[in-house]
Amino acid sequence: MAEAVLVVNDLNFYYNGTVQAVKGLSMTVERHSVTALIGPSGCGKTTFLRCINRMHDLYPGHRYEGEIIFEGSNLLCRKDITALRSRIGMVFQKPTPFPMSIADNIAYGLKLQGIKNRAELADRVEAALKQAALWEEVADRLKQPASGLSGGQQQRLVIARALAVQPDIILFDEPTSALDPISTSKIEELMVELKKDVTIIIVTHNMQQAARISDRTAFMYMGELIEVDATDKMFTNPARQLTEDYITGRFG
Amino acid sequence: MVDNNRQQQWLERIFAATTFLAAFLVLAVIVSIFLSLFRESLPAMEKFGLWGFISATEWDPVGEVFGAATTLYGTLVTTALALIMAIPLSMGIAIFIAELCPPVLRPLIATATELLAAIPSIIYGMWGLFTFAPLMAEYVEPALQRTFGAIPLLGKLFSGVPLGIDILTTSIILSIMITPFIASIARDTFALTPPQLKESAYGIGATRWEVIRDVMIPHAKTGIFGGIIIAMGRALGETMAVAFVLGNRHAIATSLFDASATITVTLANEFTEADSDLYLSALFYLALILLSMNFIVLALAKTVLARSKQG
Repeated sequence: MAEAVLVVNDLNFYYNGTVQAVKGLSMTVERHSVTALIGPSGCGKTTFLRCINRMHDLYPGHRYEGEIIFEGSNLLCRKDITALRSRIGMVFQKPTPFPMSIADNIAYGLKLQGIKNRAELADRVEAALKQAALWEEVADRLKQPASGLSGGQQQRLVIARALAVQPDIILFDEPTSALDPISTSKIEELMVELKKDVTIIIVTHNMQQAARISDRTAFMYMGELIEVDATDKMFTNPARQLTEDYITGRFG
Repeated sequence: MVDNNRQQQWLERIFAATTFLAAFLVLAVIVSIFLSLFRESLPAMEKFGLWGFISATEWDPVGEVFGAATTLYGTLVTTALALIMAIPLSMGIAIFIAELCPPVLRPLIATATELLAAIPSIIYGMWGLFTFAPLMAEYVEPALQRTFGAIPLLGKLFSGVPLGIDILTTSIILSIMITPFIASIARDTFALTPPQLKESAYGIGATRWEVIRDVMIPHAKTGIFGGIIIAMGRALGETMAVAFVLGNRHAIATSLFDASATITVTLANEFTEADSDLYLSALFYLALILLSMNFIVLALAKTVLARSKQG
């Protein structure tokens, strides 16, 4: 088995102190792999995803139990959440370009890290845009507002922005559900390509997408992890009946 | 069946006509106010011209020489100072309510801010004259004078006898009056920032302050600008509160501790004294200038907003 980048042990998560959204979840995420989280709406997969970069901390009433081991320690106990989040990027369903130019969107995270040298910023912006397969399309309009890009381009810009700060992991929360099929396939290709640099965890409602791009798939149901295994095995010969029922579309 | 149809058509027509009438009435009122102000100002216009009226600092009812420069100056200076003080204060309030405030306190502070806008301006005037101005005269202004008075150039702003009835006191009261407008509009636009946009910034390692500065404020800037324009219109036109604390002095003030006069206060004070046709006409001319100024501000604001929507 490949090196683990995240080890989740008996994770419980509560909203408003009492509503339990993740129940006793344990799994391992391998470095340089794509892990897909699937399951019906409300099963807790996005909630789990948002535990990993402590996004829940922005809102009152959250409570974590258990541990998520990252870089040798339980990230649920870390105090330097800002630094943690720069190691673990996030991409959302709808593209979220910042109200600034294309280049500044990418440079923003780098500036936050204290990089001021213009030449270095320009190099890193170019590298990140190339990595996200967007450079060719925007090279001649880096100074224009990011809001002028198409939805698919904006999403790749957001991915480039996440890549620019060189994170270990990028979390994708249904990154293509607001996009057209062509943009979707570009993003899917990109995710497979990015595996060599980062670890990817993706929440998706699209079973074909999970099958196409992921190495491992985790199926969640009502807050619990039902099964996690190699994607090939999950989609052909799952161990649990519930998994098979969901994958074959009998519910969900 | 046919009858019913015809009846419906009639109702439609009556309905459309009623809404048209309502909309037309607004236009008619504005145009007629403009026209009547224009007609009444004609004698003064003929005598002094436009530039001659605006640039002249003399306001001498006895000699029948009228210039708008002093009141225009008083209006613009008090409004500008009020905005300079109110904008940062309002941003602080809006950011606190939208982002930092504990949820329990939020409605309390938000309502208190809005109540500030519900206080009638005469009450601000009374409070200003009887409570705030004496405090300014006794403590704040002497302290300012001791601190900055000796500095060359800057000291000029703090020269004169600190009586409390002056530009500084007026601007502070105006800024308190317009703060709720800017703050509540800014707060509403902050609240419209998509949570995922904020989370994206947090997601690449931004702190709370960085998210506010780099994402929320740029995202809300159109709304904030709109709030500032509304507040500016309010400050330009405020009469009652200013009348109590500005001192009604027709001169170009060079110190913050000088009394001054605004267009609105001059109008409120002097219509009853206007004993000649030219005097009366000059007052109407002032009113026309104030109205035009507000129109220009509004038009500029609309242009800027339209342009920012395109970009």
